[in-house]
Amino acid sequence: MRKIGITTTVPIEILLAANYKVIDLNNVFISSDSYSEDIERAERDGFPKSSCAWIKGIYGACLRYGIDEIVGVQEGDCSNTGALLEVLKKKGIKVYHFSYPSSHTIEDITSELNKFMKAFNVSLEQTESVRKDLNNIRNLAKAIDELTYIDNKATGFENHISQVTLSDFDGNPQKCAEFLEGKINEISKRPPRKQLLRLGYIGVPPMICDVFEYVERFNACFVYNEVQREFSFPRASQAPNIYRQYYDYTYPYDLEFRLMEIKKQIRLRSLDGIVHYTQSFCHRAIQDIVIKQELDIPVFTIEGDKSNCLDSRTKLRLEAFLDMLGDIRGLK
Amino acid sequence: MKILGIDMGSREVKIALMDKNLIIHKQKISTMTFYKNYCLYKNGKLEVDISRLGISEEVAAVSTGYGRNNTDISMFKQITEIKAHVYGAIYQTGMKEFTLLDVGGQDVKVVKVEKGLITDLEMNEKCAASCGRFLENMAGVLEISLDKLTEYFKEPVELNSTCSVFSESELIGKIAEGVSMDRLCAGVNYSLYRKLRPLLFRFKGKKLILSGGVAKSKSLARYLANDFDEIIKLEEPQFNGAIGCCSYGSFF
Ligand code: SF4
Repeated sequence: MRKIGITTTVPIEILLAANYKVIDLNNVFISSDSYSEDIERAERDGFPKSSCAWIKGIYGACLRYGIDEIVGVQEGDCSNTGALLEVLKKKGIKVYHFSYPSSHTIEDITSELNKFMKAFNVSLEQTESVRKDLNNIRNLAKAIDELTYIDNKATGFENHISQVTLSDFDGNPQKCAEFLEGKINEISKRPPRKQLLRLGYIGVPPMICDVFEYVERFNACFVYNEVQREFSFPRASQAPNIYRQYYDYTYPYDLEFRLMEIKKQIRLRSLDGIVHYTQSFCHRAIQDIVIKQELDIPVFTIEGDKSNCLDSRTKLRLEAFLDMLGDIRGLK
Repeated sequence: MKILGIDMGSREVKIALMDKNLIIHKQKISTMTFYKNYCLYKNGKLEVDISRLGISEEVAAVSTGYGRNNTDISMFKQITEIKAHVYGAIYQTGMKEFTLLDVGGQDVKVVKVEKGLITDLEMNEKCAASCGRFLENMAGVLEISLDKLTEYFKEPVELNSTCSVFSESELIGKIAEGVSMDRLCAGVNYSLYRKLRPLLFRFKGKKLILSGGVAKSKSLARYLANDFDEIIKLEEPQFNGAIGCCSYGSFF
C-alpha cells in the first residue's frame, strides 16, 4: 500500500478509496520523542525562526518518515502551507492540493471534492462506500466524546487523543476502530469524575499536551475539544453525502461559522470557561480578539511555541484564572 | 455579618472592615506592632486577637499578604495577594476589564483582568529598583519628601543604571554636575517608569488601574498615559488588598 502524508484533515475517504495508507504528519511530528529534532531539521534547512513550530515540525516529520507523496491544504487551513509545499516539491516529493473554498458554498466544495476524486481516479460511489464504513468509526469517537461531557468519565486528554486520531485513523482504520472500542469499554466502567469546572478547549491542537492534566489539579477538566472534535466529523452520519460532510466542517471556513458551533457547544456542555490555544507566529492568534468579544464566558489564551510542556508563567496564570473561575462558580 | 480584611504587608498591616458591602473602617498598623500587640501565640500558631482591633462581634475574616500563612487558619480564610488586589480593584471601580499595576514598597504586580477574571499576570519581587523602596531611597538622597519627589516629570535627567544601588551613585554624580532639582526628581521618576515598562510590555492598551503606594505618584501616571487609553487611580491604593479581602469575603 502506498503511503501519503497530509498536512491537516483532508477528505480521507477519497485517499482510502484510492488505496492509500494516510499519515497525518502533525501526529507523526508531535507524538514522537524526537519532535524537537523535526523542528531543528527544518531550521537547519532554512525555515525562519519566526515561523510556526507546526509547519517546521510537519516538514521535519515528512522527511524523517520518508514521505514521497503529500496532500497540502492551501485554502482554508494554514497560509504557510503553500510555501511549505513548494519547498517539499523541490525535494522531489509529489504534491497534491486540496482547498476548502473560502466562499463556503456547496457548489464550490462539490467542485473541489470532484477535482480531488479525479486526481486520485476514484468514483463518487467508491468514496461514499468508504465514507459509510468510516462513519461507523466516527461514531465511536463520538461515543467517547459523550463519555466525556455527558457521563463525565473520559478525561480531557483521552477525549483529545480519540478525536485527533481520526484525522488519519492512525494509518489503519480497522486498528483505529479496535483502539476506540477498547477505550470505550475501559472508560464506561469507571465512576464519573468529580471536577467541578467545565472547560472548553478551542484553537489548533496544542503543542503542549500537559495542559489537559494540569487543569485537573484545580478542580477543572476539559469537556470540549473544538478542533479535535471537528477532525473527527461528529456530524458526518447526518450528512447525506460527502459534499455536505465537508461543507459542514467548521474549522477551515470563516470564524463566524466556527463560532456558531462553539457557542452551541458552550451551551450544550455547560462550559464555565474556555482556553484558547494560539500558536506563536500564527495568523489565527489574531482571531483571539474576535473570539474574546464574541463568547460570553471567560476566555483564557495560551500561546504555545516550541515547547511541549507548559512553562511556569503559564501555569501561574492558569492557576490564578481557574482559582477565580472557581470563586464565580461558587457564587452561582 | 461584618467582614474583616487584613493585608499583611512587610512593613504595615492594613485592615479594613466591611458592613453591608460598605467599608466602614480602615486602619494601618506597623507590622512589628501588629505582631507584638495584636497577636497571640497559641500552640505554635499565630492568632489574631480581633478584640484588640476593637471588634467584639463575630466577623468573617479574610487575609492576604506576607504573613498570611502563619495566621490562625480556622479564623482566617487566606487568599493570594493577586486575588485580593483584583477583588479590591473590581470593588473600588466597578470595572471588569482592566490591567492592574500594583507597585508596592517591595514588589510589583501587573494583572490583566477580563470579564472579571485574571487572564494574565507578571510579577517582580526581585528588583528593588522597580518598586516603592527605590523612590524612598532616592528621596532620602535628594532630601525631599516622597510626595514632592513624585510630582516632577519634565525633562528628566538621564539615569541609565538598572540597579538601585548604582542608581544612587549615579544620582549623586548628577547632583555634583549641578543638574537642577526638578530634573533630578523627574529623572528618578522616569527611571522607575523605565524599569516598569518591560513588565507592562504585554499589557498595553486599554484601561490601567494604579494601585499600591506608588499609585499616588503623579509623574508615573503621566508617563504611563502614553501606553494606555486611560489611567485610573484607586482612591485607597494602599488599602486595596485589605478591601479586596473584604469584597471576596462578602461573596461567601
Ligand atoms: S498553527 Fe497557524 S501557522 Fe501554524 S500550521 Fe497551524 S495554521 Fe499554520
